[in-house]
Amino acid sequence: MFDSILIANRGEIACRILRTARRMGLRCIAVYHHADRTAPHVALADAAIELHADVPTAAYLDSAQIIAAAQASGAACVHPGYGFLAENAAFAAAVEAAGLVFVGPQPEVIRLMGDKVHARAFAEGAGVPVAPSAIQDGSLDDFVERAAAIGFPLLIKAAAGGGGKGMSIVHDAGELTERAQTAMREAERYFADGRIYAERYIERPRHIEVQVLGNGHGDVIHLFERECSVQRRFQKIIEEAPAATLDPALRARICTAAAELAARAHYRNAGTVEFILAPDGAFYFLEMNTRLQVEHPVTEMICGVDLVEAQLKVAAGQGLPWQQEDIVQHGHAVECRICCEDPAQDFRPATGSVRKLAVPQGDKLRFDGGLVEGQAVSAAFDSMVGKLICHGTDRTAAIDGTIAALRELVLLGVDTNIDYLVRVLDHADFRAGALHTGFVTEHAAALAPPALSTDDRAAVLIAAALGVTDFRRLAFDTPEPHASIGAWRN
Amino acid sequence: MGLDFKFRLDTSEHAISIRARRPALVVDIDGQAYTAHESAAADGASVLEVDGRRHHVWRAWEGDRLHLRVDGRTFSVGYEDAIVAAQQAAGTDDILRADMPGVVVAVHGCAGSAVSAGDTVLVIESMKMQINIVAPRDGVIETIEVDVNDAFDKGAVLAALHPST
Repeated sequence: MFDSILIANRGEIACRILRTARRMGLRCIAVYHHADRTAPHVALADAAIELHADVPTAAYLDSAQIIAAAQASGAACVHPGYGFLAENAAFAAAVEAAGLVFVGPQPEVIRLMGDKVHARAFAEGAGVPVAPSAIQDGSLDDFVERAAAIGFPLLIKAAAGGGGKGMSIVHDAGELTERAQTAMREAERYFADGRIYAERYIERPRHIEVQVLGNGHGDVIHLFERECSVQRRFQKIIEEAPAATLDPALRARICTAAAELAARAHYRNAGTVEFILAPDGAFYFLEMNTRLQVEHPVTEMICGVDLVEAQLKVAAGQGLPWQQEDIVQHGHAVECRICCEDPAQDFRPATGSVRKLAVPQGDKLRFDGGLVEGQAVSAAFDSMVGKLICHGTDRTAAIDGTIAALRELVLLGVDTNIDYLVRVLDHADFRAGALHTGFVTEHAAALAPPALSTDDRAAVLIAAALGVTDFRRLAFDTPEPHASIGAWRN
Repeated sequence: MGLDFKFRLDTSEHAISIRARRPALVVDIDGQAYTAHESAAADGASVLEVDGRRHHVWRAWEGDRLHLRVDGRTFSVGYEDAIVAAQQAAGTDDILRADMPGVVVAVHGCAGSAVSAGDTVLVIESMKMQINIVAPRDGVIETIEVDVNDAFDKGAVLAALHPST
């Protein structure tokens, strides 16, 4: 096993990787931009190296500086986390060229799966179903004609895409040309690659994905599926394992298809094969993410495994830690992404600073966060600041436990989606497992904050009044408030 | 005890004042009375009892906004500082009036003194708080109607600026 690791990331995922690496006895080296100098991932690490860049995100995307930091600190391996450089084939290659181990797949596999058009063709070749599609590889007119022939609605995506960027749903032929042009421009801007493709948009689709783990020599196991159908802006906000409802035979087919696809790619590392599941039970390859996924904790919860430990063992050449039959699932797990955003304003990112943070504790609970009180939440980074994961003996118990934990979670000072997540989890259709990726839009009215009763409003207003020093002085006739209670305005 | 504390919740404004302090705190919200009691909770939050119903409360200030977590729901409440508002109300024209009953603590200047907008003309104590009564504009003091330790009623004229200045 490695004696040291450089974690080329920040926030909750850097902290999460640190936890396992530390437990395994590795010396942990963090990297950070000045804006993150007081962040927990820096404080938790054995050593931290500053990366210099004008824009904070640029620091975490700077391959050369990160590799130099790894070499200077004597790190044996580099874990990229997710996002930033995690699916950058050139970075993976550069890490290996520098004589370090990249905790991830082979660069050529990253490149293959990173190109959505090539990945689809590869999946098709592996016998995995793909949705009818048209690829824009020549003239726009020709593409529009072929796309229209598939039938509407269509989903337009960037070939080099990910994260929902450059995606749009086209409902009729009249808007196809213009939307295709917009998508090409966005793809060029976000991914420096203007190629796009269109595929049949499956109505009321569910997002089902399979966790896989490969040794790089064609041996791959799967760790069952996750459902991530509750999304906003094409991004997941609630994930669960196993899927809310899934016929056992269909589950087996999907999991097997994922493992076979990864095996055919000689996939090394933990990875995720994503599928769209249609209401009629047909499933289609969406993409493969060649990294640890944000929602990996739900799989860890139900399978009782540590995926970061598995990644490190595979990267160290120790092979797969488990056989397929070792992987047994227990109960149900739900993860909620805690985002600083305003659900009432189309989930617009919110900024501010964390004035009060209180995280619920429990043996069935896990909070993966990278936050401390006093920390600023800026627009420089992603709005997701943590994840709350809860395990239950069954789906209802997991939902109830998650709701209780969300209600206990206190993150004050910046708008968050915490209360919104409670309303989603408590919605009758969510509880019934009637999920699809349009859930948030379909139930927008029901998911709006309920009106306050007069008594509840009075409680909130009195709670507010008692937070004002002048009011307390009048109410209690004491010049200084009792020091052990709450926070007051001076 | 009529001093109104004004809070904005969602889109509506609410006025809270204290009706009684003993034996229990009774507050008035939009004309309705509520009995309130607050104590510390083990986790660092507060337990607020309103008419016998218990609420779990966390607070965090951000400028003039108070973020609250009450029974697992988050609220953001805007606060209009009652003292600042009273000062502003007292100085909206040339006549400086008392917004509430009180006692004069200090007098700065006298008839004929030149003042700039924002200068403290009088310090009063009202509801156990010291409040500065400030000049609403640049000008010259015409009269000061009170002396230190004078008591006055709500609405009393405390001082006036020379209208022609």
